[in-house]
Amino acid sequence: MKFLLFAGAILVGGVLVKNPYHLQLLTFIGIYTLLALGLNMLMGYAGQISLGHAAFFGLGAYTTAVLTVHYGWSPWMSLPVALLLTACVSFLVALPMLKLHGFYLGMGTLGFGMIGYILFRGWARVTGGDSGLVGIPPLSVGSMELTSKTAYYFLVWFCVTVGFIVCERIVGSRMGRALRAIHDSEQAAGAMGVDTSRIKVNVFVLSAVFSALAGFLYAHMVTFISPSSFDFLVSVRMVTMVVIGGMASIWGSLLGASLLTLLPEWLHVFVDYEMMVYGLVLMVVMIFLPQGLTRGLMDAYERSRSRYRNRHANP
Amino acid sequence: MSDLDHDTGIAMPILEVRGVSKSFGGLQALFDISFEVLPATIHAVIGPNGAGKTTLFNAVTGVYVPDAGEIVYDGEAIQGRKPHAIAAKGIMRTFQNVELFGSMSVLENVLVGRHSRMRCGFWGAIGRLPWVRREEREARDRAMELLQFVGLEQVAGQPSTDLPFGWQRFLEIARAMGAEPRLMLLDEPASGLNPVETQRLGDLLLKIRDRGITLLLVEHDMSLTMGISDRILVLHQGRRLAEGTPREVQSNEAVIAAYLGKER
Repeated sequence: MKFLLFAGAILVGGVLVKNPYHLQLLTFIGIYTLLALGLNMLMGYAGQISLGHAAFFGLGAYTTAVLTVHYGWSPWMSLPVALLLTACVSFLVALPMLKLHGFYLGMGTLGFGMIGYILFRGWARVTGGDSGLVGIPPLSVGSMELTSKTAYYFLVWFCVTVGFIVCERIVGSRMGRALRAIHDSEQAAGAMGVDTSRIKVNVFVLSAVFSALAGFLYAHMVTFISPSSFDFLVSVRMVTMVVIGGMASIWGSLLGASLLTLLPEWLHVFVDYEMMVYGLVLMVVMIFLPQGLTRGLMDAYERSRSRYRNRHANP
Repeated sequence: MSDLDHDTGIAMPILEVRGVSKSFGGLQALFDISFEVLPATIHAVIGPNGAGKTTLFNAVTGVYVPDAGEIVYDGEAIQGRKPHAIAAKGIMRTFQNVELFGSMSVLENVLVGRHSRMRCGFWGAIGRLPWVRREEREARDRAMELLQFVGLEQVAGQPSTDLPFGWQRFLEIARAMGAEPRLMLLDEPASGLNPVETQRLGDLLLKIRDRGITLLLVEHDMSLTMGISDRILVLHQGRRLAEGTPREVQSNEAVIAAYLGKER
């Protein structure tokens, strides 16, 4: 039901919005939602922070870019390679990394993100270095190229919808409970029979694959990628989306991604002070809604409803 | 029948601790501890603070690896296994300072307890095939039964942290029972309970034993321990001081000296 409404909203958006710039903005929101969604499974549900997920975003983008530009592969061939490669890399990274906890895990993943960025920049023969890779082919279905903004919008949001369903199903299952159990008390989770290290590695891989998918869609949308799209600040941005939108909330990922994409657009009126206002908004949200927008708004709704009910119960 | 030795017909111990030692740096927390726990009994471990009771629990449940000795559960050495693997074998525990999953409802806590009895992994969850739904439905039915068993079915949907402390202890027991354990380790289940709740706890523990579940408990409340235990092991400064029925332990000179001081 929820997803029917969601699909309806996507359809209406795609049909009504004709302005190509707005369409592109909406498509970016979709890509960022995928990023936030994957990271939310790791951070919000399992409680394991990662400050290096931009590297997986980049790995997905660069894998498909290198395969299509240098080797002339079809993007649909490079997609599974990009996802599989990211899964393998993230698995190898996760094995030693997820033995760390809290701040140390943050530092460890931060280091990994740096390595990714330096590789994208430094391995110039393959990645094009600072000047990036140009001429990534757009996606096509059969003989039809998905060059129109509307078509790409639908493709991205289709992926987001699938991502939502996948995450919602995991969250509502034995695995979702295990993730939250790890978040609440790793010791108790272990004592209840939850294989904490293995599940943490699995969810790390899952979130990395989501990032790689987002990277794939990003690369074929903008057709040009450079290392600066995958630097440390992008990792921070992803974490911010999850926290602002709401940890352990699937819809919070959508909200966080939307806010962080749209806010800079709305704030153009502040010209030179744009970034200051941006920072201020984030601060205010965190101070007044420390659990993120989703939970905060829902709590406010609950409160006002119970107040309304009380007033009518005893006049 | 499986609990009985084929030749003699004598009950085989479900848990055997053989010469277990554990030290932390210079502190010898456990020194050459040996004892046996018979199936479907309540076996208490008592001793003054720092006697090594919780260390013993952590060794049995895989949190610590003993420096020496063997822990045999159901005929199989389990020392050095990971906690989750030991839990999956049917040894569940509760914690001294209630460790519930605070972000989850009462029912969900019990469902996590059932983790090792379910099979659905990531792919199963994504596919949501009929067997996954069936497994989930059965798990919920079973969890509700357990909540009824401990008297918490009315609050199944509430956040676990909203429960009064005493109820949280009962919830922890229900959660541990979720995995259908054969052996349950309860770390000070009565601490923080009022006399009425302690009485209820005693009745509940006897009911659990009657279901064929073996209980190993650490407890400071002597009226409870003496009232329900079949056997009692007394630890003192990491060593085994005495073992026997409640009556034997109560009249043991060494135990009286350790608890009440020599002047008595």
